Order: sequence, then C-alpha cells, then structure tokens
Amino acid sequence: MSFFGFDTNLPRDRDRGPAASRGFFENPDPFADIARATAVEDDGIDFEDTYDGLGDQLDDDQDAFNDDTFGGGGNAGAGAGAGTSVGRDFDFFGRTAEVSNAIDEEQMRYALQNPQAARAPPAAPQETYVPAQHAAEPTIKRTGYEKYSDPGYIPDLQAKSSVWGIAQEKREPSPAMIPTMPAASRKMMSLEEVEAQMRNRGQAFGPETTQSIPQTMPDMSFPRHPQGLPMLPDGFPANIPPEILRAHLEKGGLPPHLAHMADPRAMYGSPGPMMPGQPLQQFDQNNRPPRDLPSQDPRHAGPPPVQRQHVPPPPSRGPNGGLPVITNTEQLIHLTEEQRNAYLMEDAKRAKRNHKIFLLSRGNGLMTPQDKNFITRIQLQQLVAAAGNVVDADPEAVLAEDFYYQVYSQIRGAPRQHPHQPLGHFAQTYLLQTGNRISGHGNRRAFHSADNHMQRMQQQVQRAVEAAKAKPKNKQLIIEGSLGKISFSNAKAPKHMLNIKRPDSSEGIRPKKVQSNLSIGDRKSLLGNIEAVYNALMSMEDMERTMPPPPEEGDTEAIQEHLEWRQKVQSLNQKLWQALKVMEPIVPNSTTPHPFIAFLSYPKGKKAIPRIFRHIDQEQRVTILTMIVVHLDTLDVVHLAQASGPNDSQLPVAVREAIDLFSLAVMPSLLGYVNEAAFNIIIGLLGLVIAQTQVLAVARTKIGLGILTMLLSRAEIIKEAGQASERDWQQWVEKFNVLFDMLEPSLVHIFPGSINSGDDMYVWQFLAAVGIGASPEQQQRLVIAVKDRVMETVSYSKSLPADMSSQRLGNVNLFMRAIGLDVDLLG
Amino acid sequence: MLFFSFFKTLTNQTVTIELKNDIRIRGILKSVDQYLNIKLDDVEVLELDKYPHLSSVKNMFIRGSVVRYVMLPRSEVDVGLLEDATRREAANQAGKAR
Repeated sequence: MSFFGFDTNLPRDRDRGPAASRGFFENPDPFADIARATAVEDDGIDFEDTYDGLGDQLDDDQDAFNDDTFGGGGNAGAGAGAGTSVGRDFDFFGRTAEVSNAIDEEQMRYALQNPQAARAPPAAPQETYVPAQHAAEPTIKRTGYEKYSDPGYIPDLQAKSSVWGIAQEKREPSPAMIPTMPAASRKMMSLEEVEAQMRNRGQAFGPETTQSIPQTMPDMSFPRHPQGLPMLPDGFPANIPPEILRAHLEKGGLPPHLAHMADPRAMYGSPGPMMPGQPLQQFDQNNRPPRDLPSQDPRHAGPPPVQRQHVPPPPSRGPNGGLPVITNTEQLIHLTEEQRNAYLMEDAKRAKRNHKIFLLSRGNGLMTPQDKNFITRIQLQQLVAAAGNVVDADPEAVLAEDFYYQVYSQIRGAPRQHPHQPLGHFAQTYLLQTGNRISGHGNRRAFHSADNHMQRMQQQVQRAVEAAKAKPKNKQLIIEGSLGKISFSNAKAPKHMLNIKRPDSSEGIRPKKVQSNLSIGDRKSLLGNIEAVYNALMSMEDMERTMPPPPEEGDTEAIQEHLEWRQKVQSLNQKLWQALKVMEPIVPNSTTPHPFIAFLSYPKGKKAIPRIFRHIDQEQRVTILTMIVVHLDTLDVVHLAQASGPNDSQLPVAVREAIDLFSLAVMPSLLGYVNEAAFNIIIGLLGLVIAQTQVLAVARTKIGLGILTMLLSRAEIIKEAGQASERDWQQWVEKFNVLFDMLEPSLVHIFPGSINSGDDMYVWQFLAAVGIGASPEQQQRLVIAVKDRVMETVSYSKSLPADMSSQRLGNVNLFMRAIGLDVDLLG
Repeated sequence: MLFFSFFKTLTNQTVTIELKNDIRIRGILKSVDQYLNIKLDDVEVLELDKYPHLSSVKNMFIRGSVVRYVMLPRSEVDVGLLEDATRREAANQAGKAR
C-alpha cells in the first residue's frame, strides 16, 4: 500500500504494455548521472536543491489535463489517443525515427504493391499519429511500432522499468536511450511536484484516473532517511502552523494562496517522515514530467518558465534557502502590501536562518552520544595522565615537584590565590564539571545511559590513575624483534634522548668512596661533600616541618610518635655531622687543609653554616667554633687575605667576596654562640688562637680580628656581669697579656691599606675591645701604638663630607672611649 | 618541573626574552606553562627598527621551544632557595631513575 493510498498494483500495469502506461516515465535522463555525481560529492543533499517549486503552481481544480500528462489509462477513442500520443509526444527523435521509418517502409511497400507510386508521401503524416493500438492492427503490416517488437529494443525498456519501479534505486542510463529523449530530461520535476499532482488528481478524479500512476507509488514510500535527521524547520512557513495546514490539506480545500505559502515540504514533513536524499533525487529524475508538459495546459503556461529560472542545480547550495519565496511571488501579489512586506521580511529571516542551520548542520549526526562520551573519556584520561594523578594532591608531592614556587610563594607572598592548589586539582575539577554537564544533558533528553556513562568515565579515570601509579619504572618498551624502542613520555617525564643505564651497584658504593677519599681533598670530593651536607640539611628541614605537635600528658601514642620523630632527627643530625667532617683528625703540618676548613672555603659551605647551626646542639657548635679558631690562619678568608700588606690597598675581588660572605654567613652564627658561651670556653679559644695560629697573620685580616674582637668583648661582658670567677679571670688576663704583647709591635699594620681606604671600622672595634680589657699601662701603650693612625684619621675626616666624616670619627671614637678618651679632646 | 616552578614565581615581572631567531622582547610575564610556553603582555621589541612588523604587537604567546634566553630581574630570584630546589629536583630525578 502506498503512502497516498494509490493503487500500487504493478504487475497489472506492466501487462498493459510499455507504450500504454509508462509513457514518459521511461525516459532516461542523460544528465541524471552528472547530477548524481555532483550530489554525491556534496554529501547531504538538501531538499531545497531538488525542489523546483513546480508543485506549487498546481491548482486543485485545474487538473483536467492530468490524463494527458500521465496517460489517462485505457480510455476509448480520443482519450486513449490523447493519452498514448502524450506518452510519446516528447520522444522527438523516436517520433522522427518512427516517421522516417514509416515513410521509408511505406515507400518500399508502395513501390512493391503499387508500381504507379502516385501518392505515397502523404501517407506518412497519418502514420505519425498511429499509436500502439493501431500498431496491433493486422491490416497495417508495417507501422512505426515495429521498433518495439524489435527483440533488442523492448527488453531494454522493460529492464529499465523494473529497475526503477521495483528495485527502486539503481538506474543506469542506457546509451541507446540517451539520444532519444534529451528534451524530456532537461527539466525535472521534483518528487513533491509529482506527488502533489498525483494527490490533486486523486482527489479530483478518483481511482480510475490514477491507473497510469501506480508505477511511481512504490517509490513514494521507500526509505528516505540516509541521514536520519529530518530538517523540519527548513523552509517551514513560520506564520502558518503545520496543524492548520494539515487540517486544510485533509479537508482537501486548502486556499490557493495558503497552499502556496505553505511550503509543500512542510505539508509533507508534518504527516510523515520526509527527507531529501539521494534516492529521492534519482526518483525525481526518473519521474520528471517532460518540460513541455505545462505548455499543453494553457493555465500553466505562464508560471513554469519562472519556476525553471529558479531551479537551482542540485550541488549549488547556499543562499538559495529561500527558494519558496520566489515561487510564491505570484501569490504574493494577491496579498496586501503590509502582508507582503511582513511575509517577505519573515521569509528573508527564515532564509538566513535556514542557511545558518545548514552551515551548522553539516556535521550533524556524525557522532552519536555514545561516540561523544567515548571521546570525552579519552580526553579525560589524557588530562589525568598529563596533569599528574590525583595523588599529587598530597602537599608533600606538590612540594617535591614544585618546591621553588611553593616556598618562594610562602616567602614572598603568593601571586595567586591558591598556591597550594596542585595541578591534579585541575583535572579533578574538570572531571566533576564534565560530569555535571553530561548528567544534566542526559536527564533533559531522558538519555538513560548517561549515568552509566558517567560511572564508566569515573571508573576509567580511576583506573587510569591507578595505572599511572602502578606504571612500571622502565620508561621504554622494547618489542621483541623490533629494531627500535618505544619510549613512554608525558609532560612531566619527557622522553629521554639518551638512555644511560646506571648500574645499580654503583649507587650504593659511590658515597662511601667519597667518604674514604675525602682526605685527598680534591675539589670534586669536597663539592660532593658539601652536597651531602646540604642533602642532610634538607632532610632535617623536612623533618622539622613534619614535627608532630608536642605530646600531652598521658597521650602515649603522641609521645611515642614524638619519640620516633626525635630519633629520626637524631639520626639525621648524626648524618649531617658525619658529612661535615668536623671530627676528622687534625693532621698537623698537613699540606691539605682539614676537610671542614676546606668545606668552609667554598661559598656554598659558608652559606650552609647558619643553617647547620640551627640544627645542631651547643656541643656541636662549640666544636665547630673550636675547629674554626684552631685553623684560623688557614681559613681561606684569613690565609688569602694575608697578601694585603699595609700599603696593598685592594684584595682580589674573589677574596673580598669570600670575606664579605664569611662575615655575613658564618660570623653571626659564631657570634651567636660566643655571646652565650661560658667564660672558660672563651679562655680556651683565646688560648687556642695564641697557641695554634700565627696571631700576627690572623690580626691582619678582617675575619681574624673579628673573631678576636668577639672573644675579647665576650670576656669583658662576662667580667662586667660579674660572672667570672677570680681564677678564670686570672687565666684570661694571662692569655690577654700574651696576646697584647704579641700584637703590640704590629698594631700599626693591622689597619687595612691607607687611611683613605675607608673600611677600618672592624680595626677600631678590635682596638676598643682590647682597650676595654687592657690595663691602664697597656692602654697607654695602645694609644702610643695607634696614635698616628688616630691623628691621621681625624685630620683626614675633616676633608670629608659631614656624614662620612662623622662616621670615621665615630669609628675612632669607639676606640677612644674604650680607653676613656674622646676624639673631641684631640681638637 | 624546576624551571616551570621557577618561572611561575616570575609572573607579573618584567622579563626580556631572546628568541632563537635573535629577536629580543621585553614584556610582563603573564604566565608560563609546563612546556615553558610564555605569555607576555605590554611587549616591547628591542631593536624594533630591525623588526618593524612587530611594532604593533602588544602581547604575545611564545612557544617554549623557540626561546633562547629569559633575562630575569635579579632581585626576584632567591638564589639559595633555587639552589635547594635544584638539589631537590636532582634528588627526585635520581629517585625516579633508579
């Protein structure tokens, strides 16, 4: 049963013979293949392309000549004659061939039968009007229809009809037929027009008039959804609801102007699935009415040329979305000006929108929701793999990966709001967002498997994370038999260009080697040593960060925890102490410096001292101080600074930098300890300086003087505070006297450079420290020793700007006041 | 991740970037990513007369692989911390390699 309820009884029709019923539907279309080829390239044929609007021009009440068009069936007399003649009317070549054949044959017959040959030519025109029925007449032996009894000819036709009528789609243009019907195929009627005509005729004339049509009926209902997505809004009249249209249609009395305004596609689109597509187009091409069909109908003579002008070639898509507008121009005339304007506006809008929809819909339906979910899952997986797994949320891991930034942010203030938000959070956040979006989507569309997909997605991400965690350590895969290696890489661990396999055994041995070879004192092992110190320091600092809260009374667990922590710290402390090599035996007169002194000779080592002092106890601190004091003259900052004689104003830059660094990094730590040291320690240290070092050399350097100043001033403070026992004090005075006696001859030489070199404050500080502790007699000697320098500085400072002058004088005054004088007294 | 971590601390600082084609660009570092791609704002191309086509460029995104040098404001670099970060990085790498 066909869609429109027409009789689809094909075999019966076929019995009627090819000439009687098929008529022009048999016409091959030589251009069909071209159109089809181009249409295939431009995938997705739009309905608009195939529609030429002819159907709009049909009037319900003007279908009286449908018989002529479609071959009115077996009507007798003129009707039959007209039907059949219409059927072949467009076959000009065939006609001509018939006629010329007939003429030739007539001439031959006449020549044979009637030698007089009087009126042979006039017989030919009669023959041209002889249709199939006449051809069957036995009285006429040779007619134009002999061609159809030609065994090579008729099967060809039948094959054609069966192909498009039953198999529906495949239709090859027969080369033999192409030249026969060129005109018939030029202008094509779309399926809609054909349908409209048939429907109209069906309403008007009833079943008997449709006898010639049924061949087309199977095509009406064959599957038309190559894309599966009806583009219903396309061309749908915005101002006429489809329900109304349908209602009108079903009543059969759609007002003409409404019928035209209502896009036929809308009518077809509403009641049933109606899709443009390739099969349809082929169908259309097969069923085009001949182009001069309308010319037989005087009422249709006007519009068709207009329509033809606007028939777009199928592949040329684009702004032609508003095609119906043009086909409706005739009807628009009948509207009022206002209506017309409104309609035109509406239509322009619709055209624009259709075009946009068309552009957007190119990829419509390419992916199913499942496909999309699949892609999303893959993307999420990659995101998780690239941005690091969720485990990175652990602050420790973040710190390990992003140490500089994290600490820097804490020190200098975070430039972003969530400095602790790790990258992994991003992936998580994104995952959650996507989840919401997808599930919301699913609910709205009642897409039942959405939740399922979400679960699967989460599971997959989880699995990806676990896989990343459990990922084997080896970063490459060597497939057996392959020549190359496949390296796994991601943003965090880029592919290694070189893959040097480090033997595992060397890992444990190397540090030991360094330790045992340390006495060699070569630069490399020293640097390695410093790094070991730093590593120990860093792990100790980490321990400090993870210090458990101080345990409360009775909380055994916390106490236990705390104890364990203390133990760990202790072991790290030992590690650090080992690495520092402070306790290495002192080899007298050794050419290589003590490891710890060598450690201090590197800027890195100097910088480490303050950090080390924070993590060691007092005993260790005094040990370090002792080591430094014992080796005072071999310290680089003392040893190398020796080159500077009194007249040698400038030290090498590197040495000065080293001295500055030592003053900044090491001295405060030592001072911090000395300021709390017991008196006996100070005495012992001073004794060490005197006994173990070349005091004169030490005294000629900034660092050496600084340490001496440190000791002397601490002793003075202890004495002032009354903490010194008499016996200790006696010891101290003894040592001090020795020191003073040693220094007195060279007191002039302890000043750096010439008077104008500037930085001599530390010398005045030292002299002040000496002066305070000195006996009056020693103070006298002191004044005599440095008198010249004092006078020089005072006079020199008079030539300086006020602030510098007061600074220099202040330095001198530091000493002067220590011995109970003042620069002002010098006038 | 050390360099990434390091450059992140330089956001909103003025840096000068020298590309491998010798163009030097000074601008405010807006952001940097793990590939060390760099986003610069308020850019100013040094030796602009050589590269007139860049005269109207106000901000840019530089692919990390084309950067030769990044010149930083010294005061914004915590050398000690950077040294420690380097040690940690090295320790991490050693840990991973093993």
